Amino acid sequence: MFTTVLFYIIKFLFFILMGTWITIGVSLMYRSRRKRHLNKIEIVFAEITSRYLYPLPGQPFDLVRANRSFRDLGIHPGKPKNVQYLIDLMIRTQRSLLGKNYEKLELLYKQIPPYRVSQKKLLSKKWHIKARGLREIYEMDQKQYIKQVIREINHENIYVRREAQIGMVVFLGWESFRFIPYLKWDMTLWQQIKIVEKLHDLYPIANLKYLRKAYNIEKPYARELIMRIIRKFELVEEIDYIIRYIDSPNFDTRETAIYCISSFQLSEKQLIRLKYKFMNIVNSEQQVQLLKYIDRISPKVDIPFYKLLLYSGNDIIKLCSAEILWGHKCIDEVEEFYYHQYSVQQQPA
Amino acid sequence: MKKALIIQQDVIILKIIEKLMQLNSYDCKAIRSISDLNIEDQTRNFDIIISEILFDGIAPLDFVYQIQEIILHKSLIIVTNMGQERIRHEIMNTNKVSGFFAVPFDLDRIQKLIA
Amino acid sequence: MEPEWERIIFWAVNLLFLIYGVSLISIYFGGIILSDRAVKRNKRRAHFLQVKDIVSATDIPSVTLIAPAYNEGLTIVENVRSLLAIQYPFYELIIVNDGSKDNSMELLIEKFDLEPRDATFITQPLPTATVNKIYRSRKQQYKQLTVIDKNNGGKADALNAGINFAHTELVLCTDADCIIEQDALIKMVRPYLEEGREEIIACGAAIGIANDSVISNGVLKELRLPKDLIPTIQVVEYIRNFLIGRMGWGEINGLMLVSGAFGMYPRTRMIEVGGFNHGTVGEDLELCFRLRMHMEKIKKPYKIVYIPETLCWTEAPTDVKILIKQRERWARGLWETLVLHRNLFLNPKYRNMGIFFFPYWCLFEFGAPVVEFLGLISFCIFWYMGLISINTAILLFLVIYLIGCIFSTISIFMYIKNFRHYTTPAQITELLLAAYLEPFVYHPILLFGQMKGYYKKIFKLNTGWGAMTRKGFNTSA
Repeated sequence: MFTTVLFYIIKFLFFILMGTWITIGVSLMYRSRRKRHLNKIEIVFAEITSRYLYPLPGQPFDLVRANRSFRDLGIHPGKPKNVQYLIDLMIRTQRSLLGKNYEKLELLYKQIPPYRVSQKKLLSKKWHIKARGLREIYEMDQKQYIKQVIREINHENIYVRREAQIGMVVFLGWESFRFIPYLKWDMTLWQQIKIVEKLHDLYPIANLKYLRKAYNIEKPYARELIMRIIRKFELVEEIDYIIRYIDSPNFDTRETAIYCISSFQLSEKQLIRLKYKFMNIVNSEQQVQLLKYIDRISPKVDIPFYKLLLYSGNDIIKLCSAEILWGHKCIDEVEEFYYHQYSVQQQPA
Repeated sequence: MKKALIIQQDVIILKIIEKLMQLNSYDCKAIRSISDLNIEDQTRNFDIIISEILFDGIAPLDFVYQIQEIILHKSLIIVTNMGQERIRHEIMNTNKVSGFFAVPFDLDRIQKLIA
Repeated sequence: MEPEWERIIFWAVNLLFLIYGVSLISIYFGGIILSDRAVKRNKRRAHFLQVKDIVSATDIPSVTLIAPAYNEGLTIVENVRSLLAIQYPFYELIIVNDGSKDNSMELLIEKFDLEPRDATFITQPLPTATVNKIYRSRKQQYKQLTVIDKNNGGKADALNAGINFAHTELVLCTDADCIIEQDALIKMVRPYLEEGREEIIACGAAIGIANDSVISNGVLKELRLPKDLIPTIQVVEYIRNFLIGRMGWGEINGLMLVSGAFGMYPRTRMIEVGGFNHGTVGEDLELCFRLRMHMEKIKKPYKIVYIPETLCWTEAPTDVKILIKQRERWARGLWETLVLHRNLFLNPKYRNMGIFFFPYWCLFEFGAPVVEFLGLISFCIFWYMGLISINTAILLFLVIYLIGCIFSTISIFMYIKNFRHYTTPAQITELLLAAYLEPFVYHPILLFGQMKGYYKKIFKLNTGWGAMTRKGFNTSA
């Protein structure tokens, strides 16, 4: 009886094994064909786009022929995967270009597929489809859906809300800062990077009115975002905002502040304020970063400041201060400190 | 006719730049990676090379130095994805590059440079 | 007629083995389901954070790549060149020469035009063997290279020296002779860019085997399957372990190991926990345990993540003796780590790690070779006592064997479906055949190596890392 059961189990397992072999074979063939087909679509798209942007004499751009080429490659509503691939190519190209060609491409995209698929994606319950739809809408500059985009800025899925927030910035520019106090979730580093990037690429002239209104937002991610914007746009007049958070109790905010301030040269007054705040920083590694920055931008070495650190800082700060003084040829001060250390150690307890 | 060598991994950008150069009366060789270069290319004196700096097995700065020795050319323009200020600064400081364009870039500016 | 007690013991022992076997198989197949889910989700997420988005971004974290080197004179220059060519805008490379007896340092100094720099004022929070000199290059194109020349202290010690001299947010620890994919750093940094409430304390990726593949300028140009059977079987083993095992555990934040050959960590956390432990040969496993314990102690949410892509290629042992040494070392490392942290076992203070993940490692990762060994012994004993029916034994073996074959086949299928390696029918057939031969050819060697490692620990026989003689990759100009 037991051996009979085992025989049946063996047969069943063998059928499963055969099934996996067949699946592997079919999958291999499909993927090989699919890869070839996608390469073809990419090359045809490259040809059409290049001919449209830079038509050679005697080879004017033919829209009808272009659309026919796409249809021949299976880009029609019946094959959504092909349509999706074409959309990805369109976005990829548009994101690489600026200026007149960017606008020309917008015009071209209105005349070729892909059949309003992006708008349909917004209605999907699946996060990756919805997020993709949002991305396509803002990358293809479909401003008519701005309301639907803004509706998703507090979606529970991070990818959906990220794309919605980026879309909001793309469409509204600096005015989108009005919505930042209403964001319910924290912003990741990548969200901040993308927002700063889009703002810089599409709205290169800073609108300080909206930026300054956001200064009162208490959320750490908002502060970090603002600091990154100040750095990216080189807003020298707003440096004080960054200095304010150099000694923030939040590690990431401090880290961002130190990173952002290192792009700037400071005035005498700002340098004094920075040195004062330096003392409040609890993390030695961050203090070292800041010390090196202070040394880099200071017109002359502030010996009393470094001596103070030499005698009162922790070992890491002492060593960093000693290095800075040594580098500025203040050898006597360093030697004096180490002799002092030596004589203190020599004295009995 | 002037000669141009274009090296870009992205086939769409490659084709667009190629058409731009052809429109400006350049005879173009357009390839997707440095491994597509052959012996004849080393003897052709290109007027211009428009190239990416991200290639397998060679650091960006190394590429800028090495291309001077491998391919004869009059000027080198970089069009790249890795366009951070620091990278731009390093590449331009080599004084071997006529222009540095990071994605997204304005092709009209490249056109001004090559005209 | 056998005495009653013999029958009772026979059935009791078989029941125990059955429970253990069923549990293990359930965990493996659970791993398949979890890893499938994780791979799909990872692919969808990757669409929103592509390589070219990251490579063109500013404000991304800076990374230091730390690669210890010991007597790598034959390949060190090429390896360093390839590490310098990695496509990431903000990274530094630290090569730690761990007291090499060959001409590694001389070659590096010559080829990269290195000059010694003053290290007097550089703090070294982690204690290491004496650092003799620090070198930087005079050439602009190698300005991100630092070479640390120190006294020999072992791999863990060398990594700690590298961590001391790094000043970036993240550190990636690897071996100098590994081939790293050009976009590896970009992909490894992705989780940190999307880090939310849970801090990422370690990030790992799959390691592949590149024996007999074609390498050019330190880049894997053509991936081939190894010519020999033993490394080919290891390819299957790595696919199973990395794709199914690690991905599955990562899905439930149960990942307890990031490979020492390729792991990324936040530098501050490394220093907080004291870096790698050079008291064990399983320093990578031990570090992950300590990092997790540290985060549990300070009550901060965290996770260890895993990138389901092969970003690092290495050479697998082809020789049986070297393979046994390697597995023996891994077994000793596992033993040392589990003993060192035995207080975790069923300790609710460490939540899931104490209640589920650590016991899993004890019972299944550590226990599986022991149970298998005891199984073999009991089979022999029961056979001798005439309690075993040969027909039933063969059929049972076939059932287990087919389950194993299905598991390996599904792993291979998932790998080739999601990644661009091993795409030809010939390669896939070879992989499948290797998987099906594994229980007969490879597994006994593995078991022997593991039991040898445990034996050495029980009888306190001291051996360190041992030497792994490498053939080297097949390079073309």
